[in-house]
Amino acid sequence: MSLLTISHLSAGYGRKEILHDISFTSRPGTITGILGANGCGKTTLLKAIANILPHKGSCLLAENTLESLSARELAKQCGYIPQKSGITIDLTVLDVVLMGYHPDLSLLQPPTVQMKEHAKATLTMVGLPDREQANYNQLSEGQKQLCILARTFVGARKLLLLDEPESALDFRFRNQMMQHLRTYVTAHDACALVTLHDPSLALNTCDELLVLSKGTRSGKISPKLTPVSKMESLLSSIYGTINITKLHDKSGNEHLVMIQEESI
Amino acid sequence: MKLSTESSNKIKFALIVGTVFLTVLTIFSFFVGRYPLTLSGIISGDSRQWQVFVTLRASRGIVGCIGGFVLGVAGFVFQTVFRNPLASPDIIGVSSGASAGAAFGILFLSGSMAVTASAFAGALGSVVLALMLASLTAGQDGRGIVLAGIAVHSLAQTALIFLKLLADPEKQLASIEYWIMGSLNGISLYSIKGNVILCILCVSALFLLYRQIMMLSLHDDEGRMLGVHTQHLRLLILLIATLATSGIISMTGLISFISLLAPHGARLIIKNNRLSTMFLSGIIGGCLLTLGDILARSVASTELPVSIFTSLVGAPFLIYLCVRRNRES
Repeated sequence: MSLLTISHLSAGYGRKEILHDISFTSRPGTITGILGANGCGKTTLLKAIANILPHKGSCLLAENTLESLSARELAKQCGYIPQKSGITIDLTVLDVVLMGYHPDLSLLQPPTVQMKEHAKATLTMVGLPDREQANYNQLSEGQKQLCILARTFVGARKLLLLDEPESALDFRFRNQMMQHLRTYVTAHDACALVTLHDPSLALNTCDELLVLSKGTRSGKISPKLTPVSKMESLLSSIYGTINITKLHDKSGNEHLVMIQEESI
Repeated sequence: MKLSTESSNKIKFALIVGTVFLTVLTIFSFFVGRYPLTLSGIISGDSRQWQVFVTLRASRGIVGCIGGFVLGVAGFVFQTVFRNPLASPDIIGVSSGASAGAAFGILFLSGSMAVTASAFAGALGSVVLALMLASLTAGQDGRGIVLAGIAVHSLAQTALIFLKLLADPEKQLASIEYWIMGSLNGISLYSIKGNVILCILCVSALFLLYRQIMMLSLHDDEGRMLGVHTQHLRLLILLIATLATSGIISMTGLISFISLLAPHGARLIIKNNRLSTMFLSGIIGGCLLTLGDILARSVASTELPVSIFTSLVGAPFLIYLCVRRNRES
């Protein structure tokens, strides 16, 4: 049973169409990674689903057509992390996280005590304990992304759209962030769509990968099920000739690693 | 946790000191002016002193205090909504509209009440025009409003020049110039009741809408994805803030720098943008205007325009802020 159904979605900026006829589904409790070269329409896809961009086709979340919802109703269903958050004025980290509750509050209602407590707990969970009174703009880029992640988590939305949430994070935090995301989708039976730059991270942390090439869907990978040779041929079409190898960590868990073949 | 209580104590301290200082300054301003007032005279009910106090000084002090508060809060709102530290109500044509309106009132209507009403109509008219023009351009992130504001500003300036040409140079032109310079002189409590009530209502509304104002500081797309109806909300909040500003400058004439300066002062003391920062912006605005007005009526033997003093304090402070910011980055 799928939670998110995208059918025949085409979108672009102005008259220029960037995405052509994309269809796919996601089940509850899963993370779907979106891979593709720069400029292939990954961000456009997320923005179209988030209804920020006008588009053709339809996005169905459970029984709701996302296009028919008001901004407020949509925000109750769906959380979105932009590539770079546009916070330019000085705000405390806690106030930034509390913005995640906006759709649940009426016009003049302030956040409740429970909301504040939950926001603090979420900050601690993502790895920013004791920073709630710090100035958001003075955090490092990686910490900012964790803070925005906490803002997206507090609302407990059914669908999360994350646009390169790992880009400013170092190795350890990247893996941690994907773990937080895993915990979230399992706990809320939600589904997450994530655009990622790092194919190895995507192969090891996502349930399914949607591969985009020049604005069209060129295939879907289930890293645990799809044969390595098929993954290689699909990913080679966007990254040049690549090689996927299986490695085991010391506790015996299998990991997939993607490396570039020397081009001659 | 220790750090956060420390900073919240500091904020409380700043708010209390600011409020006390503004109150003291306002009370002090009652006793400054050509006719000497004494506390004992007022308490004992000296009829002459009492009359001067009620009809002149009290109203002037209250308008200085409330007016400065309104300008400070409006400045905070504009800088937040436009995400621009140099924004103030002037950028969408409030002051030029008010000037043109006042000039119209001076030429064609009679009585100071009529001039106030006409200035108010001019200010509001130009803002509504600017917002309407902006809604025609599919303005992203409020830039459309700024552009429309510039267009309306120059239109209003043209109207003002035209009205000045029509004015009789002996009397009317002088009144227009004097009005534009801005002063708290000759304000009486009876004629300004409406404006003061309007300002208090608008500022209260802005404080209630604080959380929404902060949501507008995000990029439009990000705000929309958090469920904010950005376009409508921005119009609503700008309209409330300009209503309050128009309510003040239609009585006083133009007052420079307070809207720009007070929020920066508040942010200098409270590092982050909080509800208390907005309140402190108002307090600092009130102090600046009251102080400016005290100087305006006491430095020379004649009344001086209050903008001279707000600018005298304001310009160096602005340069100080720029220097400080350079050093920090």
